Amino acid sequence: MAEQSSLASRRSSSSASRRKPKKNQIPIGVALVIIIVAIGIYLGTKSGQLALYWTLGISFGVILQKGRFCFTASMRDPYLTGGTSLTRAVLIAFAIATIGFAAIKYGYQSMGLPMPGMSYVAPVSLGTVFGAFIFGIGMVIAGGCASGTLMRVGEGFHMQILSLLFFIIGSLWGAHDFGWWKLNVISKGKEVFLPDVFGWAGALFVQLTIIVLLYIAAEKYEEKRKAQ
Amino acid sequence: MNEVILDCLGEACPVPLVKAQNKIAEMNIGDILIVQIDHSCAMKNLPEWARKDGHNVEVEEVDDGEWEVIIEKLK
Repeated sequence: MAEQSSLASRRSSSSASRRKPKKNQIPIGVALVIIIVAIGIYLGTKSGQLALYWTLGISFGVILQKGRFCFTASMRDPYLTGGTSLTRAVLIAFAIATIGFAAIKYGYQSMGLPMPGMSYVAPVSLGTVFGAFIFGIGMVIAGGCASGTLMRVGEGFHMQILSLLFFIIGSLWGAHDFGWWKLNVISKGKEVFLPDVFGWAGALFVQLTIIVLLYIAAEKYEEKRKAQ
Repeated sequence: MNEVILDCLGEACPVPLVKAQNKIAEMNIGDILIVQIDHSCAMKNLPEWARKDGHNVEVEEVDDGEWEVIIEKLK
């Protein structure tokens, strides 16, 4: 730490003189928490589900902001900086989600109930690959994926209000034409639900193995870039 | 010893990172680069890259949501 503090003191242009006194944000924070809880209680009287969405949404936002978790950076930084810490964080999140979703779906199936979330088992086609590719280009230019853009607008980063605007325009346009795409492109693909192919244990094993292999690849890649 | 200030206020990542990478390439060893940023994501990847590249790095929060990343070129 001694070495670090010397770096700031050695600089010739002092920022301390022109530094504005920081506003105390704690009262605003406390007020915000009270408002959030109050809205949550109000939504709870209307429907329990709304209150749950409210709570989960706020929690997700806080985790995203405080954790500096960024899906864009997880895909971009390996190339730009050679760092894969976020890539590995995303892989760990996928692994946890895999186990969690498998447990929920298996639980419903073993009780003979319809599995939740099966409408998200969408057909796979070249459209998936192409869509992912243009999404990747877009998110690097915009400086964030959907959740990242929303989080940074909330942080007060003005430029990404522009991203948000075009994100909304694009979503509306996409929703408008979705019927055509679904009829002519998406429905031509094949629906794959891994447990139907490999069985529950097999699907879990295959998916987790792929994630572990990607994790190892990410680690090896970082070491290789560091050695350069 | 030169000191360069790079104004990246209002730039979304990865722009500050790329600008800093280009700037540091043309600087001499021992020079100090100060990158001004207000994008929280650059606060993470900029120091991460600079430390990995073997430079001295320090982050100062100059205002709410505004940081200066001070990088001393070491190699």
